[in-house]
Amino acid sequence: LPASSRDLRLDFFRGLALIFIFIDHIPENILSFFTIQAVEFFDAAEVFIFISGYTAALVYGQTLVSQGTLYATARILGRAWQLYVAHIFLFVMFIAEVSYTVTTFNNPMYNDEMRVGDFLDQPHVAIVKALLLQFQPTFLDILPLYILLLVIFPVVLLGLRSRPLIVLLPSFMLYLIVQATNLSVPAYPEGHVWYFNPLAWQFVFIAGAALGFPWRHERRWSRWARPVLPLALMVVAAGFIIKLSWTIHGIWDPFPGLLLKELWPVNKNNLSPIRVIPFFAAVAVVAIAVPPNAAVLRSLAAKPLVLCGQQSLEIFCLGILLSALGHFVLSEYDSAIGIQLLVNLAGILVMCLTARMLDWYKTMGRMQAGFAAARSSAGNRLGK
Amino acid sequence: MRWRVWAGGLAQRALLAAGLVLSVVLRFSSAFGGALPCDVPDELMQVDDKLPHLAERLRAEQPVRIIAIGGASTTGLAAGSSDLAYPHRLQEILTRWYPSSSITVVNRGVPRQTARQMLERFPTDVIPEDPVLVIWETGTTDAVRGVGVDDFAATLQAGIDELKAHDIDIMLVDLQFSHSTTTVIDFEQYLNALHRVGDVNDVNVFPRFEMMRYWSEQNVFNFDGVAKDERASLAAKVYECIAGKLADAVRVALR
Repeated sequence: LPASSRDLRLDFFRGLALIFIFIDHIPENILSFFTIQAVEFFDAAEVFIFISGYTAALVYGQTLVSQGTLYATARILGRAWQLYVAHIFLFVMFIAEVSYTVTTFNNPMYNDEMRVGDFLDQPHVAIVKALLLQFQPTFLDILPLYILLLVIFPVVLLGLRSRPLIVLLPSFMLYLIVQATNLSVPAYPEGHVWYFNPLAWQFVFIAGAALGFPWRHERRWSRWARPVLPLALMVVAAGFIIKLSWTIHGIWDPFPGLLLKELWPVNKNNLSPIRVIPFFAAVAVVAIAVPPNAAVLRSLAAKPLVLCGQQSLEIFCLGILLSALGHFVLSEYDSAIGIQLLVNLAGILVMCLTARMLDWYKTMGRMQAGFAAARSSAGNRLGK
Repeated sequence: MRWRVWAGGLAQRALLAAGLVLSVVLRFSSAFGGALPCDVPDELMQVDDKLPHLAERLRAEQPVRIIAIGGASTTGLAAGSSDLAYPHRLQEILTRWYPSSSITVVNRGVPRQTARQMLERFPTDVIPEDPVLVIWETGTTDAVRGVGVDDFAATLQAGIDELKAHDIDIMLVDLQFSHSTTTVIDFEQYLNALHRVGDVNDVNVFPRFEMMRYWSEQNVFNFDGVAKDERASLAAKVYECIAGKLADAVRVALR
């Protein structure tokens, strides 16, 4: 996409979501009191999946219109393959870390419980299950969802092109069925389910895709959003007050957790309506409050987040590795607040610098391709 | 919960030097006097909720039956014998404190069980025993196996509902701490879920994880570099400390 027409909100908020995912994946991290999950019922996962659906429809929708169904399908599946390889890479890193820890372990009080490490009991089964995306260790559960959603995405795109409702309606119905019946997708080991239930989470991705699809006659979604703005604001504000009270209650017991007994636990696996309604309300509020090319998004301060959002796959994987590393440092050496802040800062810095480097590398690649194209067309002219 | 963890961490580090000296002294004294350095910071001994049915039974000087359901650390495998496990120790202490009631603590630990598997044992191993108090030690296997934390919370809720329906008092015991496992397993979300379930149901949660972490950081109990044959006796000492603290918590909840 040309930089000028790019909706910077997508990059900015996806970058922010990636930073939040990094922070939230470090256990007992002081900074996690300042991420979205501390003050709202939804968290960075909804933001990441929604924006991924939106950009996928935007990018591959254009491919579909200009270069045809077959090529668009090939590109989408190519991207899914890329994600799959990245996921398997993360999985191997994870297994290396856990295997080392478990085999050098000698605490008798834990030996009986650690022996359940299924992948060490049956590595051949565990690895095949990982290749089939059925074995999803903690924190390695969002990419399988994304991969599966991309694999079905060509069909979604074709549906969207003819009529958004033939996609949105079944998607919403499936979401409702999951809420009513707790239908889930089995995983490995026996008895486990996909952490992000794809039958429920597909709704966020497809809703994003419906909003992001490049219609010939631009649909003014924001025109729909404006009348519901007061209601959306109320939902977001109510969510903020309730969730913040829970967070404070968790820190300091005498502070009351509002509606805690009534609303908790809020199911994340199946994407409870208590999560998804405030999320869409927040989307409406942000869509109206922040214009696509707001000055703040083009500012120098926002640049690192925008770059992270633009290199989302690489930065996501890096963030997962960095939070595992950060967790290791904090639990192995020292978890004083100063060290925690340092670990967070270092991680965010590495993510932003890597995004900057990737941006440079890809820009150079595009320029190279541009030169080559210019040279070959010049050669053609000379030859004639 | 997390605040307590965090504030506790601060306090520990502030007192680290003093604590090291203290632990050396305590080790020295334990070598001679046999006393155990089980002390923990006061904030870990905060007990908010009562045990009304147990209190009534003790007041009436009637027999008391307590079921300890849990995993490997309830069976006491690491110490070598169920007499060295925490339920038996707890029975000894409570019998000493409340001599007018005959107190039995039944060990219903089965190693490597998730909360769900324990809940499935309630109809056979817990309810027919007609206990007045159930001590439910759970979460470690769920965290190691990576059971969905939403499912874990729902299981605990179902268990609490079932016990309350039978007028049984409940005490939850949270996860075991071990330094090297915390680097590969995310215990935090299971701890948070367990403590929040206790919170919304007005059920006490015994903070074993933080206590064991405290002992580990104070070098009271350290399994690193300990010869194989000495590990069992060290585990037995940890179980004895847990039983002592648990008995203290029960006594506070009876006031």
